[in-house]
Amino acid sequence: MTLSRVLFVTGKGGTGKSTVAAALAIALSRRRPTTLADLDGRLSAAALLGATPQDSTAVRVSDSLDVIALTPRAELNAFIERIVPIRAISRRMLRSRTFGYVTAALPGLEAFLLMERLRIMAGDAALEDRYLVIDAPASGNAVELLSVSSGVKGIAPAGTLNRLADSVDRFLADATRFGAVVTMTPEDLAVREALETAATMRGRLGIATVAAIMNCVPDLLFDTSELAALSPLAAHARLAVRRNAAHEQAALVAPRFAAAGVPTFSLPLMFTPAIGPGELEKLGRALDAELLGR
Amino acid sequence: MKPRGIQLKPSARPKRPADPGSFDLRSPSLMICLGPGGVGKTTISAALAVRAAMLGCAVDVMTVDPAPRLLDALGLGADSSEPVEVQLEGLGLARRSRRSSRARLRALRLDPKRTFDSIVARYAASDAARDTILENRIYRNLSDALAGVADYMAMEKLLELAANPSTDLLVLDTPPAAEAIDFLDAPRRLLELLNSRAVSLLGAPDGFFRSQLRMVDIAARAVLAAFDRVTGLNLLSDVQSFVRSFDGMYEGFSARAARAQDKLRAHDTAIIIVTTAESSRIAQAREFIAALERAGLRVAAMVVNRVIADLPDAAELSSARIAPSLRRKLKRNLADYAALKTREQVSLGTLRASLPADAMLMVAPDLGREPRTIADLAEIGRSLHAA
Repeated sequence: MTLSRVLFVTGKGGTGKSTVAAALAIALSRRRPTTLADLDGRLSAAALLGATPQDSTAVRVSDSLDVIALTPRAELNAFIERIVPIRAISRRMLRSRTFGYVTAALPGLEAFLLMERLRIMAGDAALEDRYLVIDAPASGNAVELLSVSSGVKGIAPAGTLNRLADSVDRFLADATRFGAVVTMTPEDLAVREALETAATMRGRLGIATVAAIMNCVPDLLFDTSELAALSPLAAHARLAVRRNAAHEQAALVAPRFAAAGVPTFSLPLMFTPAIGPGELEKLGRALDAELLGR
Repeated sequence: MKPRGIQLKPSARPKRPADPGSFDLRSPSLMICLGPGGVGKTTISAALAVRAAMLGCAVDVMTVDPAPRLLDALGLGADSSEPVEVQLEGLGLARRSRRSSRARLRALRLDPKRTFDSIVARYAASDAARDTILENRIYRNLSDALAGVADYMAMEKLLELAANPSTDLLVLDTPPAAEAIDFLDAPRRLLELLNSRAVSLLGAPDGFFRSQLRMVDIAARAVLAAFDRVTGLNLLSDVQSFVRSFDGMYEGFSARAARAQDKLRAHDTAIIIVTTAESSRIAQAREFIAALERAGLRVAAMVVNRVIADLPDAAELSSARIAPSLRRKLKRNLADYAALKTREQVSLGTLRASLPADAMLMVAPDLGREPRTIADLAEIGRSLHAA
């Protein structure tokens, strides 16, 4: 399948968004140079790849994979340094708390500058034939972030800002350039949130969800007759049922996304004491086979 | 207000699992649950509230943005911004409530926008001043978008509810926060914005007060002015009119914020951090702890939600009369979940090491399903125990 140039990975908190983003970046980097942009603030995805990027400078993880941290704050700083060229003053200003509140009260200025930055990065990525994987905020905040240009257009019906916002909106709605990846786990709430997020992005913002990724799917270990034979071992039966139920719930989800035009892929639950490079590599391979192999 | 707390007399203490009331949540009259998004903060808040009510307390719980099924469980509608009585029948409350007729649970849902509007209405000097504020673009953005406003409003509602003498315990769920201090610090931040000389000067006409402007103020003005030029948004004048329209209201806000700060530091206020055992959440929870300590606030307890419940006994398998292939599978299943449990124990160990010595580390075992009823919440409340 043809993937969008920029893949925006979001999902309910706790569904392994950062792990999926890191695994996806590993998988993609086998085919083309890839950048993982960590918008998460906590740099979880970067940490999984063993990188600690700072100051919007890309850190190289392998020949074809690098990691960059993007924060709204850094984008605002860059914007201000462009306008106030005297560094001593711009720095003092940025440290001023009051100024922080004023910019926070401005209509989504920081978030908007961040989206504009992504748009520019996407243009560069296209030139360099590169993928950009974004470890985005959890779904609620992500939708807010993606909506910011619409909000800007609402309050600036004309002018430069409106034109900028327009180009951000066009970028987001162009499935060849920008696509969302929603993550979930085999739990009602996570699935529902993923479906709602995909529907909101499509309906309100015209953003295509290119993949729904069901994370943490245990393999099916017991068949029905085996479960029936377990009745004398109540506690073991509960654990067996739990594993099977998660597997079955995961299997039920694909048609619901298919109805919304979104393909679903699954990643195995790693029954390991830690998620390290070896596990990520495995998840990357699973994604490679599932998502990219088509 | 005389807090009764949820501490149990030894005779009334259930044997297993241990009751959170017997731990370091010493008779709080206010519990504030902080934590990152998606960890089940609302569920834990509600479970603590249900538990306290079952122990005979008069409890109010304020939720923020609950999942639809949790709303159902608490009997809340989309519009319940005033407390609604929650039915506790059938939860084993009856016997206890004879002993304490105070037992009750009320729930409500925070509506930050409506709360903000009502504060503005309360403190505005005139109807005209009120309308100016409500129409102001900065105000509308503040109340719609700025995360801190929901925090501030939760704090405001808290003061209102805490003033009710018939309530023993108020449990407060908070908006998901990137940082612990976001919520606790909200009143001060809003005040600082309203009271800041720089903000007033930002909005002053060009040339006006120029002599009083510091370099930083001038630079800040330049940025806003440049932004205005590029955008045509006239933000400067909006900021100015926003700050001006709050003029007479500062006193009222300031007094409320000071009271809120006192309340947070009161000896019978318990700050509870809610998290799950995923490594990224643990890292976040540790940052929460550190930030609270820096702010001089004491963490009373940490609740790790949805931990893997106790695993069955492996010895049972050797003696059970089942097919060898099934036995192998069961052993593997057990080993698989034991590996996940190991991962979890490592996380819990990291957390314990970052918690102050007098703070309690508690776990809430995974219910195995989404809580849908008040009985589910009661079960979670009962299952909370020290890790």
